[in-house]
Amino acid sequence: MQLRDNIESPCGLRYVFEQLELQAGYTRRWMLDMPMMRTGDEIVRSYEVLRQFVRFVEETDIPYINTLQFRLQGLKDIRTTIRNLEQKAVLDDIELFEVKHLSILAVDVAERMKTHGMDEAIAVPDLNEVITILDPDGLKMATFYVYDSYCRELQDLRSQMRQHPEQQENLMAECEEIEEGVRRDLCKKLYPFAKALEEAQVALAKIDMNLAKAIQMKQLGLCFPTISKDDISRYEAMFHPQVQDALAQRKREFQPVSMTFGHKPTLITGANMGGKTVVLKTLTLCQYLFQYGFGIPAKNADIAVKDEIYFCIGDEQSIEKGLSSFAAEMKNIDAVIKASRRGGNILALIDEPARTTNPKEGTALVSALVKVLEVENVSLVMTTHYDIETNDSRRLRVKGFENGAMNYELVEVKDGEVPHEALNIAESLGIDNEWIEKARGILIMSNSTQLNISNSICLDLKWSNTTTLGKEKGGKA
Amino acid sequence: MTFIDDILNYDSLSIVGLQKNTGKTVSLNYVLDRLPVESKRIAVTSIGIDGETTDQVTRTKKPEIYLRQGMYFGTSEMHYRKRRLVSELIDVSDENTSLGRVVTAKALTGGKILLSGPSSSSGLKRWMKDMHRVGLDLVIIDGALSRMSLASPAVSQSMILATGAAYSTNMNTLVQQTAYVVELIKIPLTEEANLKLLMPIEKGVWYVDDEGALHELSNISALSQEFRFEGMDRCKTLYVAGALVDGFLEKVRKNPKLKTCELVVRDFTKIFVSQQQYKMFLKAGGMIRVLQKSKLIAVTVNPTSPLGVTLDSDTLCGRLSEAIQLPVYDLMKKECN
Repeated sequence: MQLRDNIESPCGLRYVFEQLELQAGYTRRWMLDMPMMRTGDEIVRSYEVLRQFVRFVEETDIPYINTLQFRLQGLKDIRTTIRNLEQKAVLDDIELFEVKHLSILAVDVAERMKTHGMDEAIAVPDLNEVITILDPDGLKMATFYVYDSYCRELQDLRSQMRQHPEQQENLMAECEEIEEGVRRDLCKKLYPFAKALEEAQVALAKIDMNLAKAIQMKQLGLCFPTISKDDISRYEAMFHPQVQDALAQRKREFQPVSMTFGHKPTLITGANMGGKTVVLKTLTLCQYLFQYGFGIPAKNADIAVKDEIYFCIGDEQSIEKGLSSFAAEMKNIDAVIKASRRGGNILALIDEPARTTNPKEGTALVSALVKVLEVENVSLVMTTHYDIETNDSRRLRVKGFENGAMNYELVEVKDGEVPHEALNIAESLGIDNEWIEKARGILIMSNSTQLNISNSICLDLKWSNTTTLGKEKGGKA
Repeated sequence: MTFIDDILNYDSLSIVGLQKNTGKTVSLNYVLDRLPVESKRIAVTSIGIDGETTDQVTRTKKPEIYLRQGMYFGTSEMHYRKRRLVSELIDVSDENTSLGRVVTAKALTGGKILLSGPSSSSGLKRWMKDMHRVGLDLVIIDGALSRMSLASPAVSQSMILATGAAYSTNMNTLVQQTAYVVELIKIPLTEEANLKLLMPIEKGVWYVDDEGALHELSNISALSQEFRFEGMDRCKTLYVAGALVDGFLEKVRKNPKLKTCELVVRDFTKIFVSQQQYKMFLKAGGMIRVLQKSKLIAVTVNPTSPLGVTLDSDTLCGRLSEAIQLPVYDLMKKECN
């Protein structure tokens, strides 16, 4: 899985990626091609490098950083040229220019990194020899042509050309032949450096990326995570940068949420508009950011490494694929189940499964799903409105309305408890009063009916789920 | 010839042909040959493909562009590889054209080149800015009007217009049509406040009310017959970011509410209005202004059409000069060279 495969995930990964101040278009492409890290060691190493860059950014004057960034804007994608060099082709002037340009940039950036003790964070191969080959006059300028000093004969021909423009056509042909010979010799000297050039290009992209990530950590208030040793992920005060930003524009604040999950399936219930989906989005985002080595939007995070990440959210572009929302959802969840059977450590985040079907079958589907995914290699976090029975799952609930305001905090609850705040919330939204009151009436009716009739009949009623809700509300009261 | 000195008063010049084979390349070579390359750092590029040895449409022979030692040029990778001079590469940009990236180089000997360059106005502006940043004094753009070029030559400070028998072999029509284009080139700039407000807007139809507030008029393009002016009683300036066409101009003219408002277009290349419609607009008291304007330095003529018809050079120059009140040069004539 490359970053480009996950970038459009509805969790908002693209938003965080686009916030990076990358200097070179090449870095962007290189990052999108990055495979997702799947081992703790890899992730630890990448954070060690990033940590050094954060320190570098903190301890260095802003103008110095700006100059370094400006220099990195000169990083170009010359993979085709390097490939030609690897295949021992003779490069033309434009390609030789690119090689020289990259080498000068690499040497310059490497020196800048060295003066700040950053040369060990990311090693840039030494390309001074390449510069020497392509800069026979020692001008240290990032320009190129087949210099006069490569060949005495060439020099003579060119001065003749200047003196006798009328002979230019003939002289030009002679020059071109000599130039081609010079280029052939130059390339022979350059072939051994193909690998170093490629490494230098990647090293510069890594520097660009780490600088951008380090700056982003400060800008967005991200933290360095630790690697979970027990396959349980723990987040303290996590937030979603994109949602936070959207709220800030409406002069509202994001309430950070803390949460732990891992071995047992975790079910999140809670009122509508209680931020359940945002919790799942944030968890997915954090997991991706973690496995691609970004800072994590939380105060503290201890995260378990996963092989595969699945985020199933109801309203995907099912219409584009010509599927009904139910069919699209079922297929997505089916993929999770199939993956769980293949083995591998999976994180599955499922948002209100089967919500578009009837409550009776929906409840059955969701209960069964929890049972199917109650396996060792799956960490499941799921949101639902259904009352489902499970043997061994954790239940969290969004606290919900408190003193007229929504509290998005997650609290642990006992089995089977589903909040009944839909009507209150609808009312607070200023929804038509007649509608709400009628619904309330039906709830009370079914409540009293239920006291008189047996459970089996109740289940056959059209409003079975509402009835159950009513019972509980009644029970609580 | 005096207009060479005139060019040096500006930091950019575009040479625009009214039609293919109107002698644009001759004009460009003429200018390149006479500019003081020893004292001024000069760069040249093109919008659209140019410098082909034979014209791609009419298959007639075309003069090549001859650069002098010390001049800078921007061209595509493909054309760079075909250069007939010694040059030093100074930049390979990310700017892509159909012939590869735009590269910039300095001529180390004189010689012929094939010229192509940035294919959008923003790309051209970026290239010009880069050239000025590295200390160049004058940037010359081989412009195009008749070609399907997305880049506007009007981004340059000054302009030379090439016209000729290729445009029309009827002298009356040629003089009249050229005079009309010259009239459009000379449309004055709108006021400073409008420039700031409207310059960033690249599409749609907008208006500025009497309090200086900006409103987008409609999502329907000015090209559409459906276009309606509604709720613009206080319109002071009407801005068309895209092409200005006959139908739209007619509606503006016939709308009593817009009688006193100023019509603004991006630059003269965006005006696709017939001469008749334009005259009627002005006669009815209409006022038109632009956001970008180049100073027209000279008009050059090529009295010979690619089909072999040759107009009398002196008569043509005289009549055209009288019509546009500017010097007109036939650079094909031997005595000019």
